Amino acid sequence: MSIIKDVPSGTKPFKRAYVAIFLWFTGRAVQAAARVDREVKKEFDSLPENFTFSLGCLPSGPRMVIGKEGGRVKYLGSDPKGRRVHVRLIIKSVDAAFLLLSFQESTALSTARNRLMVDGEIPQALSIIRVLNIVEVYLLPKIIASLAVKRYPSWWSMGRKLGGRIGVYTRTLLGI
Amino acid sequence: MDLSAGFVFTCPFKTNSGNKALSHLPVELAGFNAARPLVVASAGTEGQKAVRILKSAFGDSGMTLALFDNVTQAADLGLVDHLKNLCLEKKVDAVIALGGGKAADVAKVLNLAVSLKTPDARQLLPETPIRVRLLPLVVAPAAGADGLETSRFAHLGRKVFSSESLAPVLAVLDPCLAKGKSSIGMAAAGLAALGRAVESHIQADQNPFRKAYSFAAIRFVRENLPAAVADPGNRKASLALLNAAAMSGCAFSNAAAGRLHKLGQVFYDLLGIPQGVIMAMCLPHILGDYLKEGQYDLAALFQPLAGDDAFARTPAGKRAEAACDLLNRFLKELQDALGKDLPKSLAEAGVPGYRKEEILDVLGADEEGRYLCGIVERVANGRPERKG
Amino acid sequence: MRHCRAGGQRKTGKEGVIPMLLPDYYEFCCRVKIVAGHDALGKIPDLLIERGAKKPLIVTDKGVAGAGLIDIVSRAIGDRVAAGLIADDVPPDSDLRVVNRLARLYRDNACDSLLAVGGGSVMDTAKGVNIVVSENADDLMAFSGAGALNRHLKPLIAVPTTAGTGSEVTQVAVVKDHEKHLKMAFTSYFLLPDIAVLDSRMTLTMPPFITAMTGMDAMSHAVEAYYCLQKNPLSDAHARAAVGMIYRQLPLAAKNPEDRDSRLAMAVAACLAGIAFSNSMVGLVHNLGHATGSVCGVPHGLCMAILLPYGLEYNMHKRADIMAELLLPMAGEEVYLATPAERRAEKVVSLIRGLNEELHAVTGGRHARCLQEIRDREGKPSVPRDILPEIARAALLDGASIYNPEDTDYEDNLLVLEAAWEGKPLDRTRVKKG
Repeated sequence: MSIIKDVPSGTKPFKRAYVAIFLWFTGRAVQAAARVDREVKKEFDSLPENFTFSLGCLPSGPRMVIGKEGGRVKYLGSDPKGRRVHVRLIIKSVDAAFLLLSFQESTALSTARNRLMVDGEIPQALSIIRVLNIVEVYLLPKIIASLAVKRYPSWWSMGRKLGGRIGVYTRTLLGI
Repeated sequence: MDLSAGFVFTCPFKTNSGNKALSHLPVELAGFNAARPLVVASAGTEGQKAVRILKSAFGDSGMTLALFDNVTQAADLGLVDHLKNLCLEKKVDAVIALGGGKAADVAKVLNLAVSLKTPDARQLLPETPIRVRLLPLVVAPAAGADGLETSRFAHLGRKVFSSESLAPVLAVLDPCLAKGKSSIGMAAAGLAALGRAVESHIQADQNPFRKAYSFAAIRFVRENLPAAVADPGNRKASLALLNAAAMSGCAFSNAAAGRLHKLGQVFYDLLGIPQGVIMAMCLPHILGDYLKEGQYDLAALFQPLAGDDAFARTPAGKRAEAACDLLNRFLKELQDALGKDLPKSLAEAGVPGYRKEEILDVLGADEEGRYLCGIVERVANGRPERKG
Repeated sequence: MRHCRAGGQRKTGKEGVIPMLLPDYYEFCCRVKIVAGHDALGKIPDLLIERGAKKPLIVTDKGVAGAGLIDIVSRAIGDRVAAGLIADDVPPDSDLRVVNRLARLYRDNACDSLLAVGGGSVMDTAKGVNIVVSENADDLMAFSGAGALNRHLKPLIAVPTTAGTGSEVTQVAVVKDHEKHLKMAFTSYFLLPDIAVLDSRMTLTMPPFITAMTGMDAMSHAVEAYYCLQKNPLSDAHARAAVGMIYRQLPLAAKNPEDRDSRLAMAVAACLAGIAFSNSMVGLVHNLGHATGSVCGVPHGLCMAILLPYGLEYNMHKRADIMAELLLPMAGEEVYLATPAERRAEKVVSLIRGLNEELHAVTGGRHARCLQEIRDREGKPSVPRDILPEIARAALLDGASIYNPEDTDYEDNLLVLEAAWEGKPLDRTRVKKG
């Protein structure tokens, strides 16, 4: 018998599942925010038609894909289906994705900690990061969001925050 | 700082340190186009625990790890030869040294043998020229790592291999591996890292890059070793010590071997006494002599040891002595905390006379042999260090 | 959850010492071998031979060659390696056509290594050439994604001729495709040069104006690396070493260009600063600086010099305690002890302004202290006030904002730019704090 053993790497089904669910949720929330929030809409308007970005983990991890189609922003599931992906946000492992999506590390911090690789043109990637930050502000209560983003937008009107939050949640759950 | 003599510096390894560091390992290996790593781990419970942690970090990567988990103190070039043949068969394309000490030594020499495709690894010599690039070597040190893991050195089969090529390309410092079990284990590791960092820091040749590493190493040990000794499971302190060890290894690779290191190494090679234990024993004596001799930059130790404020308030002329004082006090605190576990003399450590003679024989061959033997005699029975 | 918390002191440890920061997670890499000295160039033949190379392609530009620096390099190398092939037509902005042409030259002459002698553009070009010749690439663009390079390239020795951009120790190369109007950015640790040779002779001919602005570029690297989001113990150690050396040596090097010791010290300091920022990233100063440079054509170092105090002021509400730690390494014990702890961050800012003033005097006014003072070669103002909004917008497209401790939007950018234009300290009460 060889003194060298072969050890297959296992799987992380729970973390994978959590990440997959959150990516699904976030994807639909981005789609929702694009309809509800004027800043998010403006960011997407500045991006080209058919612009597509993905957020997912290595090596073959769960992924979410968002694309612009006919002026509308759509959550496309986990498969770009042959579309050219302009910006890829790549998380290096399921563990790192879990840290990001359980809000233990914000997007900015995740990038700062080399958990996240950004592939594509920087200006477009920055737009996406701004969009994700706004979505986090909508999805999370202030006490968590203000730790997750660099600067909590305390100057947003109550109407924007409340109305936006309701709008984003509703549309996310209904998928519209 | 007078740089006119010029200098050379290299740090061949990348450092990934902190929460979930190991989970990035598959991506890092892919970055080297490697998909079939061999993991070299120590025998025993600590080695097995490390393997479990590593395996969990590789979860979801889709990779299969080849694993050799039986490195003991008896490991030699014969073992390396056996492993080399298996590695060539399996087309291993990267080596991961899990834990420190002998596992790292074996991993380095194995890497050499595999990359050179040496017919018989037992014939490997330190002088063997290395004309190819070695496979990527990753070290993932565990509690007790004392810094040699990230250095350019490998000690195996009574030989000392030394080459930039042997150093790892990546050091993964993960808190899960950092946590220790025994206070003396943490102390010995921290003191060895400190000893080598101190000796690198005070060398007369000015090298600001090397100083950056040794500064950080000294500071991390100073700030975290007492906490790690009090509680080896302290996550932050144990991670800081791993950092200190890794940085100390780099500084050491860029400096001449100092007296503390030589003493620590010979006692470890011949008697298996942890290097940090010997360094602690000899430190007060050697420091006093460094201070007297005057060609070492002991004042440079004061800032990393005492902090910015104390450094600013202490006149330049007094810093060398103040640094020695601080180090001696630091050591004393550890000795008080550990008692008999950190012996103050060879007698206390239970080293019999005839073994001491063996040590003296080996040391005698060194260029500083007379001095080093003198130190051994001074620490034999716990004679107090000569002052001033 | 952790983010840069507002203002505040770090917890002091034993005896009032502020413990060294250990981030929750960090990465640090500088695999470049550093060879420094008054005759570091003489080591090049051995360094090449050790790596199995004996026929380097020398990549440089006309400015460097015209200053006689290539002659010095060739003489120092001698004839132990065949270093006669010199390509000196690298333009001020790295260009894809030049990269491809040099790659052809490399192949046609069976070269086996690269020797880059020059500033940022020469380094970028050499790195680009290295990708093409090592990967036998037809299309350089294909290697611009993350993880596109996964093996070692040909040996590359970097000899910087300014002090400096730090590109001798960065893993980034930017190459412009002027035909398609694209800027390609390559990031990979394999792009790090194998060796950086820091020889005092390479910066002896730099006139005071260039010395001043490249030196302040290095200062901005070290300072921003110290307080931006990706800071870590090793980048901190390099940055601390750099700020002191630059603060002391830069005025000397600008006043006495022939002083070899201060030239060597500046080269070493710029390298330390380069290592610091490439492992810790930069923030607002580079963000606005890149934008100012691209909109108005202002040299990079000058933008850095002017904007650096403002970057500190903008972020001070979040990083004051960290900025304060730079005072001792920068200015020494006396100034440190004379400054109460709560004023140290502001003191760092005023010292940097003071340094700019000193350099302004040494360069006869060419080293501008504020944006409105900047003049182009014809003496016309380079940054008219009404162009500031365009710069503020352009800065939104630059990635350095990710690592800045505080968020920045168009209004924030404009606030800083206005103050930097007028040359007045930033009104920190107007900074949005969230």
